[in-house]
Amino acid sequence: MRVNPNPLPDLLAALEQGQQQINTDLEQIASGQTVSAPSDNPAAAASLVVNADQTSEVDQFQRSIASIQGEMQNADSTLNSVITALQRAITLGTEGANGTLNDSDRQALAVEVQGIQSELMNLANLTCQGNFVFAGTATQSAPYAIGANGVTYSGNDRSTRITVGDHLTLQTNLPGSQLFSSPGNDMFQAIQDLITNLQSGSNIDTAVHEVSSAYSHINAQRVFYGNALNQLSSQQTSLNSESTQLAQQQNSLDGADLSKVISDLVNAQTSRQATLQAIGQTQQTNLFSYIK
Amino acid sequence: MSGLNASLAAALSGLMAEQGAIEATTNNVANVNTPGYSREVPVLASSDPTAVGHLTLGTGVTLRSIQSVRDTILESRIQQETQAQGQFNATVSALSQLQVSFTGSSGDIGTAISNFFDSLNQLSTSPSDTSLRQNVLTAAGNLATAFNTTANRLTSQRSSLDDSVEQTVGQINQLTGQIAQLNGQISSLDNSGQSPGTLIDQRTQLIDQLSSLVDVSVIPTDGTLTLTTASGTALVAGQQSFSLSTQADHSGVQHIFSQGTDITATIVSGQLGGLLHIRDQQIPALQTQLDTLASSLANQVNSVQTAGYDLNGNPTTMVNLFTPPPASGTGAAASLSVAITDPALIAASSDGSAGDNGNLEAMYALRNQAFVQGQTPTGYYSSVVFQVGNAAANANAEQSASSLVLQQLNDQRASVSGVSLDQEAANLVRYQQAYAASAQVISTINSMMQTVINMKTS
Repeated sequence: MRVNPNPLPDLLAALEQGQQQINTDLEQIASGQTVSAPSDNPAAAASLVVNADQTSEVDQFQRSIASIQGEMQNADSTLNSVITALQRAITLGTEGANGTLNDSDRQALAVEVQGIQSELMNLANLTCQGNFVFAGTATQSAPYAIGANGVTYSGNDRSTRITVGDHLTLQTNLPGSQLFSSPGNDMFQAIQDLITNLQSGSNIDTAVHEVSSAYSHINAQRVFYGNALNQLSSQQTSLNSESTQLAQQQNSLDGADLSKVISDLVNAQTSRQATLQAIGQTQQTNLFSYIK
Repeated sequence: MSGLNASLAAALSGLMAEQGAIEATTNNVANVNTPGYSREVPVLASSDPTAVGHLTLGTGVTLRSIQSVRDTILESRIQQETQAQGQFNATVSALSQLQVSFTGSSGDIGTAISNFFDSLNQLSTSPSDTSLRQNVLTAAGNLATAFNTTANRLTSQRSSLDDSVEQTVGQINQLTGQIAQLNGQISSLDNSGQSPGTLIDQRTQLIDQLSSLVDVSVIPTDGTLTLTTASGTALVAGQQSFSLSTQADHSGVQHIFSQGTDITATIVSGQLGGLLHIRDQQIPALQTQLDTLASSLANQVNSVQTAGYDLNGNPTTMVNLFTPPPASGTGAAASLSVAITDPALIAASSDGSAGDNGNLEAMYALRNQAFVQGQTPTGYYSSVVFQVGNAAANANAEQSASSLVLQQLNDQRASVSGVSLDQEAANLVRYQQAYAASAQVISTINSMMQTVINMKTS
């Protein structure tokens, strides 16, 4: 049977293929990735797009949590100070209700409670990066101001929620109207009453009772921040593990298996060398060499 | 009459025939590396015998012709496969350029979509923060730029394919002209009874080249060939070639005409078929998908944006974030742009208070809403990436498969038509020895004649 007398083009094609394999292997070793263009693995390339978006989203949630955590911690410790101040006011009021005190003693106590009042004002007007934390969503102006009728609230009663996870939104603030100015538990009204009653010397007990009721209310509300902060840190933990999972998924989609790639490379090189040698040795002679 | 002269004539025919055979061998050896060359064999036949009385005597040998050894069916298979190869080559080269735009990178559409929504989530932590608002505008601008860049790349690739179409048509015309000319030469050689072997080789070679450019059907007619496209448009008929021409349509895309008829849609194979497929189907489909994504995204974002309040508490009913895309969606990706420059105009608030982020959260929720033909924006984009990658991967696979088939066919062709130096060397020895033998016969007859002449004089 007659065979192809010139196998060189086929051998060259085989060499080219071997070189192509070597190039691909080298590229994968250099980049550590198997998908450098969508055509390398279309399904993986599409999944990588989604994976990249999810990774980016998880990273963003982490950043957002870090941003609101600071503000919420600030609010929480401010509420702590409010509670301490209210405890002092209650102590002073209880002292004032003691029948053995005279007018000027009670006046002195009233002055001290006025000090507490302005301290509470400062605390309730807490700002964080230029925003008033306890103003509801009216964060651009101080929610509490003192006037002829005592302390008034000019914020609103709205709160904000932020997405910090897949289908997870978290309330990030309590408005002053709910914390300090809640009807029936109005802290500033109670303090104002305490001051007035200390000055007049009548119904001090009632005012002290008002303050302790505001105290209990705020103490109860404060749990919100503790809970939210706990939720944030547990969400951080779950985002961390999500981020690890996404990285693993990404690696399984396009991570090069180095040991496999290197062994492929060695095989390709060996076969290329063998082909080259074979070509070099077999193409030397034909019948013309022997006809003298 | 039999006699020494007849023997001399027979021996001489042997000398001449072997000389012709050696010439054929020499030509084969000389063309051992000529692409498309088919080896030639001498066709020897014994000359017509003469009857002398009751004897029938041979009169030597005749070199009937020098014939090229070829398998025409194999050659037409090669031409068909060459068409497929040409188509896949064009497709692979165009798609591998195309998919660069859809390869994950910092500036690609997927990343830009992620970054835009990330910036919204960050702003949500502090809705009145001007620098975070500015970040949202920047991310929106980058998103628009990513769409613009990708859309522009598609457009410019389409126009460079258009240039290639024109060039290819030029090459086709050149080849059909040459083939028509060869047809003429071959039929005049045929008519004069000479063997047109090498001219046929050249023509086959040109048809192979033509096949890689366009789908060609070869119809043998009376010693010449008629070439048409697969759908029947004449390219060459005998000695006449029919040029194709190109003409731009209203959108600036080149259409291909043959004798006044637009044949663009009928060309499906060869390099031209591949170019047209990418230019007229793949790229427009991608453009439509990008436009769909860009316009749905812009419209959805705008509809949330216009339902809120800006940083100063003013309703943003008339303030879009993105310039509204064309109603048809066509060109949305190329023209996407951010409509506002003042970061305060971003409608973060749903009630007018500066610290509210209700509207922003609604805008952020779009990230995971399936509003682009039933998919989320990122989901839709990922399916576009899949399509581009899949088209390129398929074209690669088809190209490799077709290369293997073509290689196999060329092997077969070479096993029939290729010049083997071993065989030529053996033939050379054979013809040389026959030549020497014939010469020896002449020499013997010569001495016999000498004997006869001497007999008379002595």
